[in-house]
Amino acid sequence: MPILQVKQLEKKFGTLEVLQGIDFSLDQGESLAIIGSSGSGKTTLLRCLNFLERPDGGTITVNGQLIFDASDPSTQHESDIRKKRLHFGLVFQNFNLFPQYTALQNVVLAPKLIAKERSDFGADKKGILNGIEEKGRAILEQVGLSDKLNAYPHMLSGGQQQRVAIARALAMEPDILCFDEPTSALDPELTGEVLKVIRSLASRNTTMVIVTHEMDFARSVADRVIFMDEGAIVEQGHPEEVFGNPQKERTRQFLLRYSESN
Amino acid sequence: MTLQLPVIVERLSDSFLLNGKLFALTLIFSLPLGLIVAFGSMSRFRLISVPVRAFVWIIRGTPLMLQLIIIFLGPGLMNLPFYWPAGSTGRFVAATVAFIINYACYFSEIFRGGIQSIPSGQYEAGAVLGMTKAQIFFKVTLLQVIKRIMPPTGNEIITLVKDTSLARIISVKEIIMMAGEYTNRGLIWPLFATGIYFLVFVGILTLLLGYIERKLEYFKA
Repeated sequence: MPILQVKQLEKKFGTLEVLQGIDFSLDQGESLAIIGSSGSGKTTLLRCLNFLERPDGGTITVNGQLIFDASDPSTQHESDIRKKRLHFGLVFQNFNLFPQYTALQNVVLAPKLIAKERSDFGADKKGILNGIEEKGRAILEQVGLSDKLNAYPHMLSGGQQQRVAIARALAMEPDILCFDEPTSALDPELTGEVLKVIRSLASRNTTMVIVTHEMDFARSVADRVIFMDEGAIVEQGHPEEVFGNPQKERTRQFLLRYSESN
Repeated sequence: MTLQLPVIVERLSDSFLLNGKLFALTLIFSLPLGLIVAFGSMSRFRLISVPVRAFVWIIRGTPLMLQLIIIFLGPGLMNLPFYWPAGSTGRFVAATVAFIINYACYFSEIFRGGIQSIPSGQYEAGAVLGMTKAQIFFKVTLLQVIKRIMPPTGNEIITLVKDTSLARIISVKEIIMMAGEYTNRGLIWPLFATGIYFLVFVGILTLLLGYIERKLEYFKA
């Protein structure tokens, strides 16, 4: 059973159909790269999965549980959506770290707030909060920032900030981690350190959806690639198939344009 | 009325306490009220936002001096079943209410600007981490808003210090009204001396506001 199943997902902004019936599924531990030109709907798709946009049509199923059905308002209660979001993590293009908190505080803020809702929180406050801090430190170490625990975002480089953002998303233990062009806002010499972290997550079989313009990275890291154009999936398959032997003309053109611009 | 220096200084100081009290009460109540008004004017529901914005327009669009008079005299003139307490207490309470309403409206516009200047990415980052709207406001955006609005808020607070003397229009015996009594008897220096009280008070506030701004310099937003 796939961990994520998206069926006929549609999203309109006014009369503009940004997503026109997206179908795909994702297996546990799989990393999926979504490529396509700007305006093809890649980012909107991620935002729909994270409920930052409400789809106008289609369903989203996680672990066999239907969590969103555009035709069924009972799946769209505001209070439930908060919980359903936690199936997904999202790393933004612009990091969106909280500037008034240190790297570690950024990572542990949300887990601590969630922990306070636990019924057993009162019994062992200290233990639970210390556990979260411990885990936060471990995750920051995992992304290579054990020496930056107490640094504020403005003291960090873009690459370091994005790694904190990845750690912050990981700390929530999402079923599916989404990346929205994680290196697009970075100087070229800083993309490597972020891609390295994502690569290591892939090698640990983290389930991921990565929207990216880094074709070489998508080709080498992803288990599967989706090429989107004008709000629809044009082609999908193993990276070697999509990159090496694209079946659709539009995919070929896109890849050609891409290789020319590099 | 004695014209001895120590007596005059004592009476001026006592009356300036009234300015201070009016200042403190206005600040304590108008800051939170201003936040509520700000949320009202940003409401998605036009039934709320339109009247709130109209109210802010009226308060900001008319002189505070006029508002003092209307709030003090209005209930009696309109035969409302409500009167301010008799004597100087009633005048002071009426003045305080007028100041709170007036400053809440000014603060609300500063707050609205500050809240709307926070990038949407901050809200979205909180949302995808499963935070509630209240948690996002209090744990994520509030301190960033406070940092951004400190300079204009400080400005408004300093203006408030001097505005308190407007309360004399409804015979609240604040420092300038007190000094005026000496002027009427041919002694002009007490009126000039009131400036020193305002200067010292504003000086202390300026230091305090600067301290808070420096405290918030540890992060950039």
